Amino acid sequence: MRSAAVDVLLALAVLCAWLGAAGLIRLPSAMDRLHCVAFVVAASGAAITLAAFIADGVSDRALKILAITVIGLLAGAANAHVTGRALLQRSER
Amino acid sequence: MNPWLAGVLAMLPAFAIPLGAACRGHIGGRFAAVQFATAVATWILIMMTFAFDQPALIDLALTLALLASPGTLVIALFLERWL
Repeated sequence: MRSAAVDVLLALAVLCAWLGAAGLIRLPSAMDRLHCVAFVVAASGAAITLAAFIADGVSDRALKILAITVIGLLAGAANAHVTGRALLQRSER
Repeated sequence: MNPWLAGVLAMLPAFAIPLGAACRGHIGGRFAAVQFATAVATWILIMMTFAFDQPALIDLALTLALLASPGTLVIALFLERWL
């Protein structure tokens, strides 16, 4: 049962990464592509973190993975904002 | 095959696509592709810790996650002012 849950969550994480990669190719502007980055960080990160906790229980490794996901979400928001601002400033030059 | 190893292998195309996108096109799109590749590389490193049963590998992923953010901010600053 636990193994099946891990399999499903990993498949979900991979699917989200593929979807994000497809969006990265298909979306026309850099601003649009930033959404793909946020999507992969949030969706794949949540799935992998959950899979890690199911596989490992509450361990040092699982807690570090949770920290990585939280850092990715918080820093990702700031990075997307800074990148968008840089692109806007650049386009106004 | 270990499901984590299968996940690592399945993630590789999603890592290769942004690497290719980072090599061509407008600089803004290339920058977004680099951020995407960094995120996928972090997930690949995390899955490798389980695939190869090496808990110490998680520190590589944590280091990448911690260093990617200031790196992105510096590149964004360069993009805004000088590039």
